[in-house]
Amino acid sequence: MDKDKITNETPKKQVIETEVPMGTVHSAAIEPYRIRLFVEDEIVKDAEITVGVNHRGVERIMEGLPVEKANSLTEKICGICSNSHIWNSVLVAEKALGIEVPERAQYIRIIMEELERLHSHMLYLAHGNEVLGHETFSMRLFYIRETVMELLRMIGGNRVQYGVSILGGIRPRADLNQMRIQKINEGMDFVEDKISNFAERFISDPMIMSRITGVGILKKEDALRLAASGPTLRATGVSIDLRKDMMEYDPFEFDVITQDDGDVKSNLLVRVLEIPEAIKIIRQAVKNLPEGGITNRSWEMYDTPITKSYIEVPRGKLYHSYALEEGRVRHSIVRTPSIANIGAMEQACIGCHITDAQLAVVQCDPCFTCTDRAIQIIKL
Amino acid sequence: MSLKSYSRARAVHVMLVYTGGCNGCDIEIVNCIFSPKYDAEQYKIFLTWNPREADVLVVTGPVTAHNEKPLKAIYEAIPEPKAVIAAGACALMGGVYKNIHGDIPSEEICGPVDQVIPVDAKVPGCAVRPEDVLAGAVAALPKLLDAE
Repeated sequence: MDKDKITNETPKKQVIETEVPMGTVHSAAIEPYRIRLFVEDEIVKDAEITVGVNHRGVERIMEGLPVEKANSLTEKICGICSNSHIWNSVLVAEKALGIEVPERAQYIRIIMEELERLHSHMLYLAHGNEVLGHETFSMRLFYIRETVMELLRMIGGNRVQYGVSILGGIRPRADLNQMRIQKINEGMDFVEDKISNFAERFISDPMIMSRITGVGILKKEDALRLAASGPTLRATGVSIDLRKDMMEYDPFEFDVITQDDGDVKSNLLVRVLEIPEAIKIIRQAVKNLPEGGITNRSWEMYDTPITKSYIEVPRGKLYHSYALEEGRVRHSIVRTPSIANIGAMEQACIGCHITDAQLAVVQCDPCFTCTDRAIQIIKL
Repeated sequence: MSLKSYSRARAVHVMLVYTGGCNGCDIEIVNCIFSPKYDAEQYKIFLTWNPREADVLVVTGPVTAHNEKPLKAIYEAIPEPKAVIAAGACALMGGVYKNIHGDIPSEEICGPVDQVIPVDAKVPGCAVRPEDVLAGAVAALPKLLDAE
């Protein structure tokens, strides 16, 4: 009886001809998620992505923890954009408690965030090239990315989760001295040189270009309707970058990169062209790095209502909210960029050949391990 | 060294399974095999996504409740002899996700990997370093090579 009821309530997708299910662990999809492709004559007519396999309940664990501990826990949400999570959660707590951050700390946070954007975009490009079947480009990008990883390790002490931001500033370990600044400048020179070489070769490769042009098209109207965010939205021609509205990015000059087509080519090119912009920001930040303290320790903890913050991270728009009570987290919500882009992934699959479906999903820069946030596990 | 183990040592295929970690370890392992800096392929270690091809299973992440069944199925699908490497703090002891409150057990996590499938080598770190992954792969090799 119950079973019948459940099947009646499931939203019905239009099934045409064949259904190709992939997942939860599949050899073509690296991360665990489930995608159902409804295929007619090898053309994808409809797609459905299910996430929730990775649900770990981070927000539930965060409730009741002291703010400092909860902040470092947000870093474990995602291993690729870990700095953005800890940065945004610290920003929320600082906004709620009215903590002023020294300017030098702001600059170093920006440097970390932009370094992270570099390594995230290069990882995206490497992954995209691997899915395309071009392993040489993929390895080349991993080689360039290694420089950025070494810089992150030098500043934060770890290759993946560096935990630079703390309440009121940054960790003393992450302060930049003359030697580190020089290494950052050298690294940026290297990355800029190699990435421009890569971009030249990538764009002038007729095989690659014919493979990715016109595949996985996401229209501008669809992207806006599905509330896509970040580079995925910018690749459809919408010039929205939250960094332009953020107070932290006021001292820096950079351009918002847009492309018009919304296909795989535009998505890859947006990321390729955003790398020099990130390098530009890092160079400005290193050049104009203000003198002074890095941590403001004169603040008090008090109860706050729910405070929210949006920032632009490599993959889109990230939302954090905190409500504090007696120095502990009473409420916390995290909304990662990939969950906004799931609709875009499904839309981009439609109309593709079935062999391009994986590419259409990958073009939206999915990170399903950090997406499994807003999902509740309901036991039936 | 018998002919079988001689040939096995020349093509070790590693399969990577995500079971709910944060992606950090996974990227580092892929990086370790793909990136020309660490380049595990020079030691004849290759990455595969097919359990039928694989010799070594690398598991990252605390095993979430949804991932327990697929993980067991993948372990069964790998032909003998096989070795399992648990990589990262989450895979070794649940990391930050396992029972962090003490009094509230978390329902979503099935615990460390060695409670679900037998583990041969353990690689610590949050996130694991590529050098440690190579060391873990080397530690798991004798089980493959000594098998009849």
